[in-house]
Amino acid sequence: MSPREIAILVLSAGGVFFAVVAAIGLIRLPDIYTRTHSVSKSETFGAVLALAAVALTFGNDLSTLKTVLLLVFMFITNPTAAHAIVRAAADQGIEPWTTEDEES
Amino acid sequence: MSDDTAESESPTRYVESPIIMATVRVVAPFVFTFGLFVMFHGADSSGGGFQGGVIVGTVVLMLGMAFGIQTTREWVGPKLPVVLVGAGVLAFLLIGIGPVLLGGAFLEYHAYGVHHASKYGIELVELAIGLIVSGIVTGLFFVIAAGMRNSGGETA
Repeated sequence: MSPREIAILVLSAGGVFFAVVAAIGLIRLPDIYTRTHSVSKSETFGAVLALAAVALTFGNDLSTLKTVLLLVFMFITNPTAAHAIVRAAADQGIEPWTTEDEES
Repeated sequence: MSDDTAESESPTRYVESPIIMATVRVVAPFVFTFGLFVMFHGADSSGGGFQGGVIVGTVVLMLGMAFGIQTTREWVGPKLPVVLVGAGVLAFLLIGIGPVLLGGAFLEYHAYGVHHASKYGIELVELAIGLIVSGIVTGLFFVIAAGMRNSGGETA
């Protein structure tokens, strides 16, 4: 295997790992704040790693530039979208989940 | 009645988030350009007026989420979405009826006698469709936002 293929494999494996972490967090965590906390970071990182693998796969091509642009905008907009969702939830008065609430 | 005034005041106490505003400032021009890009690629690759129009309309949605819906509504004004839809329909009809006046069939671009007439014709039609779709997306966004604010009363 060439070093490029190894790099592509490592990047896509990392992307899959972080996407799985995001999915587990989305299913297992109790409320919107903890879920966005887990998903926004790991899902952004998973998508960025997967797109980096795609950009490496395309090699010297115009598609690489498009993929890198997509990566950059994903990196900017994905956490901002999560921030906007959580802000809207806080504006709506959604209470964060706590263990005391569960016990009482 | 006091409940009613509290309801109508709740959207005005919207506080802008500097993070969202900065991101929208950076991203909005790129989104607009990307929408036009998708519109102009309707003839020879994936994309088209509908998708591009939705992307251009999304710019207004982003501005509404960043700067407050009421501010954006006042900035856009009540006429712009209607003007966009009307201009798009008129442009489409003109492009379509033009060949009829020149002795062809409806939307038969070869009647114009321009080189690559059908290519340019399709691009112009896509642009008109994009105008219509972006106007409708903008208008629908404001209508839906107004319905949520009044919570069951008559819409603004």
